[in-house]
Amino acid sequence: MKSIFGALSNAKPPVLRYRMAAFPLALVFLPNAAYAAGTTAGTTISNTASATYNDPGGTQQTTPSNTVDILVDELLDVTVASADPGDVTVVPGSTNRVLSFVVTNTGNGSEAFRLTANTSLGGDQFDPTTTSLVLDTNNNGVYDAGVDTVYTAGSNDPVLTPDASIRVFVLSTIPGASTDLDRGLVNLTAAATTGTGAPGTSFAGQGQGGGDAVVGSTGADGVDDGAYIVQNASVALVKSAVVVDPFGGSEPVPGAIITYRLVATVSGTGTLTNLTIGDAIPANTTYQTGSITLQSSALSDAADSDAGEFSSNAVAVRLGALSGGTSRTVTFRVRIN
Amino acid sequence: MVKQGLIFAAAALLAAPALAADQVSLVSEVFVEKVVVAPNGRASTLLKQPDVVMPGDNLVFVVKYRNQGAQSARNFILTNPMPNAVAFREAAGEGALFSVDGGKSWGRLGELKVQGSDRRLRSARPDDVTHVRWAFRQPLPAGASGKVTFRGTVR
Repeated sequence: MKSIFGALSNAKPPVLRYRMAAFPLALVFLPNAAYAAGTTAGTTISNTASATYNDPGGTQQTTPSNTVDILVDELLDVTVASADPGDVTVVPGSTNRVLSFVVTNTGNGSEAFRLTANTSLGGDQFDPTTTSLVLDTNNNGVYDAGVDTVYTAGSNDPVLTPDASIRVFVLSTIPGASTDLDRGLVNLTAAATTGTGAPGTSFAGQGQGGGDAVVGSTGADGVDDGAYIVQNASVALVKSAVVVDPFGGSEPVPGAIITYRLVATVSGTGTLTNLTIGDAIPANTTYQTGSITLQSSALSDAADSDAGEFSSNAVAVRLGALSGGTSRTVTFRVRIN
Repeated sequence: MVKQGLIFAAAALLAAPALAADQVSLVSEVFVEKVVVAPNGRASTLLKQPDVVMPGDNLVFVVKYRNQGAQSARNFILTNPMPNAVAFREAAGEGALFSVDGGKSWGRLGELKVQGSDRRLRSARPDDVTHVRWAFRQPLPAGASGKVTFRGTVR
């Protein structure tokens, strides 16, 4: 503590001691570590001391000092953070897939920020095609098509007060050629419209409230990555047949019963929805009423609430949604005419 | 400029009646510490009298006093309220007294308590300080001068 004030303990102001005049252009000012937001830009810091004492007559007197006024400059700082809990799952060829980001003004003045998304990044398997950036103007944290405002650079750059945040949605199309577990990265950059640069870069007179605008420790721009991951699924259908003839053998003769067995196996990390197995009854055979089973449980032939039906001389079983790694077995019987 | 001139004139008018008794003069100065890097890469700290500062800047406050009267001034107390936007850090030397309640009560920093966010009393920290003061035990002799200094950080 003593050393700090040592220079001040003499009567002369210490500022003249430094050889600033000798190297006026060679010195680079570094900003101090920024507080989150901190004192609002344009605030005037006024300092006045006062003294009280008793004059020779014993009367108390009060003397004020001069007032020193200092203006607080605008510090330009911003952060961007991905707001998705993890990679956003997509299927190949899908459109308007949403990544979420939060842009926060960590400076001390109101500032507009220019937003840009970049998809040409290393470390991924595909480049999404970003179709639009959308501002969460109703501030509910969820992308609402047609409600939230589409962002246009230079026309509605979001203006954030100190410490304020806005959620930004990046909408992309996923390439049709991408395959299961491929990742595609997109980053969002927010840059102060007053200017960016190395910390300490100053924009004279451009700060809120008439001071300078000075680039803070973030460089006045922020960036973060979001990621899409493809979860795809495919289904393999295997059909087999068992023949039982009227004579206890397995010859495909008239009167023999054929039991068809259809096994649908879903692979991949995704889910197939509305999966339906359909199979036409072969020529020269007759469907055996009430013979449809799913996972060994009988299904009715009528088009009703259960999953199976027989109509137009074909068997159909609705399997619904099946995720990768699961399978379903359907059987039905016909008689050879 | 016109506005400044008017303020000046008004201040002079207000001060005029007290002028006869203005035995002690005070001058307040505020410096900002700037870390500078010279071409040889060495960083050093420079004190400047700033027009503008940024959050996080470290300020050094200097108050110079002088007894310009012919008699000593007794019970001399020098007080500096902290500007709201500045967090007190430390005072030079011994003998400073502090207030954390807007100047109502005074004490050494370690003796003062404030109500924390959990509504319980806790020991005051430097950034709780609202006023700093120096109470001189001895009368300030005629012609004597000196200075007090303290530091703060722009919030």
